[in-house]
Amino acid sequence: MSLRRLLSLYGLLFLAFVYAPILLVVIYSFNANTLNMMIWDGFTLDWYRQIFGMKTDLADNATYVDSTRQLYGAVRTSLIVALSTSVLSTVFGTALALAVARYRFRLAPMYRALMMLPMIMPDIVLGIALLIFFITIGMNLSMLTIIIGQSTFLVSYVFVTVSARLAQSDPGLEEASADLGASPAQTFRKITLPTIAPGILCGWLLAFIISMDDLVITYFIAGTGNTTLPIHIWGMLRRGIKPEINAIATLMLLFTLLIAAIGLYLRSRRQT
Amino acid sequence: MSLERRKRGHLLGLLGAPTLFLLVFFFGPLLIMLVYAFLTPGLYGGVDWVFSHLNFGRILGWANTRYETFDPVYIAIFLRSLRLAGLTVLSSLLICYPAAFWISRMRPGLRAFAIFLVTLPFFVSLIVRLFAWVLILRPTGFLNQALMGAGLTSTPVEFLYTDFAVILGMTYVFIPFMFLPLYGAIEKLDMAQIEASFDLGATRWQTFRKVVLPATMPGIVGGSVITFIPALGNFIVPSVLGGAKVLMIGNLIEQQFLSARNWPFGSALAMLVMAAVLVLLLAQTRLARAKT
Repeated sequence: MSLRRLLSLYGLLFLAFVYAPILLVVIYSFNANTLNMMIWDGFTLDWYRQIFGMKTDLADNATYVDSTRQLYGAVRTSLIVALSTSVLSTVFGTALALAVARYRFRLAPMYRALMMLPMIMPDIVLGIALLIFFITIGMNLSMLTIIIGQSTFLVSYVFVTVSARLAQSDPGLEEASADLGASPAQTFRKITLPTIAPGILCGWLLAFIISMDDLVITYFIAGTGNTTLPIHIWGMLRRGIKPEINAIATLMLLFTLLIAAIGLYLRSRRQT
Repeated sequence: MSLERRKRGHLLGLLGAPTLFLLVFFFGPLLIMLVYAFLTPGLYGGVDWVFSHLNFGRILGWANTRYETFDPVYIAIFLRSLRLAGLTVLSSLLICYPAAFWISRMRPGLRAFAIFLVTLPFFVSLIVRLFAWVLILRPTGFLNQALMGAGLTSTPVEFLYTDFAVILGMTYVFIPFMFLPLYGAIEKLDMAQIEASFDLGATRWQTFRKVVLPATMPGIVGGSVITFIPALGNFIVPSVLGGAKVLMIGNLIEQQFLSARNWPFGSALAMLVMAAVLVLLLAQTRLARAKT
């Protein structure tokens, strides 16, 4: 076999390694076997029915009404946090990226270097630092502390995404616009914003998805009563592997793919 | 108002709020954590605002009071975390390098799609991806079913709650971290150089070692560093796939905050992780500077 063929074969194996575990979860989420979830015993939608609190043939149906309510609460918290966090960090991250890319000032290189820090900071370190901070200044742990805490590192993700876009765009266009008599506001609205809009959008989606998924930092600063979806699932996992986790995971997967698809669609539209 | 002053105003408008936000909520917490690492833990949780170096003494060797004594187990756990993170980097490098090479040689349209495929799982919830591996590795899991079905083993092999499971899990969740820097470096490879190397009579292996490897080294170093850092302080992967047996420094820190309630000691441990990360980053920048 030629090296090329061998490489292709390996590549397919690599993709299988990446996707097989995820596919397995999806497949098992339709498994009708209630006694041993690992042995296939026909197709069912019962696990999905259970998540949505519908009546099923499963024996312990009643106990699920309560867990369904908890699940909904977690989803709601996650969505509120992710929306607020992504907007806040997109505004801040974009502003910083614009300042560093389009203005000459002495601290610009320092900003560029320091903005990497929140991204490379081990999340457990940032998580406990935020916990200590909020407790020390007497701020009660709430949804607000989650939003603030997550934004501290998501600003960096947006900054990098928008900066990459700014680096690709031609500052000459903006200079030309100014030379032709456009006001800074006009130049920003007509030239700068349209060119970096895809970057801002990508940064926002990225921040949204990472926020929805953040476990470690949220875990430390959520306090009681503010369970987000990842923390809820983690708790379920620690109490034992149950088949309905498959179904919840599959729904989360679907949601993520939807957002990724939207991002890709927007990107393809921009190119044409 | 002069143009220069107006520009200055715009700049301040852009920088002001985010700078203040990050100063207060990012650097502020890190600073307080640094202070906490040098405070005395209160007897019933909480903290006494009295200077103490014994939190570090407990880890590094000089503490021997009634409540605060040195225990070599902390260094052992730290070293173990370094080892597991190192092995994670190694395995993900070996897995991702050929894959990045494969994709960099595709047609442009296909290439973009392949990169999308590799990065997509990054957006899939971490906890979901780890749960998938629990299903595969557990005693009644997919892997054991396959092994027993093939007659390779008669009793289930204990995969879950081992070092192997933790390394595999971390490798899996950090694939995009390693893949993207590698791909960035491999994509920039100058094909003319490789052809020249072949023309001059070098073998495939020689070409790889003398041309391809040095040219892609920045990607290798970059990918390794950004994989190593989150692996070192990780506590979700060991707590899901490692059970109680595989304790990493992250688990130890978490315990100090949520069950042992010794925040100063937990802060000291976190400083240790930070120190390791900083050393690594400094080494990387020095390396990069030495090259240019």
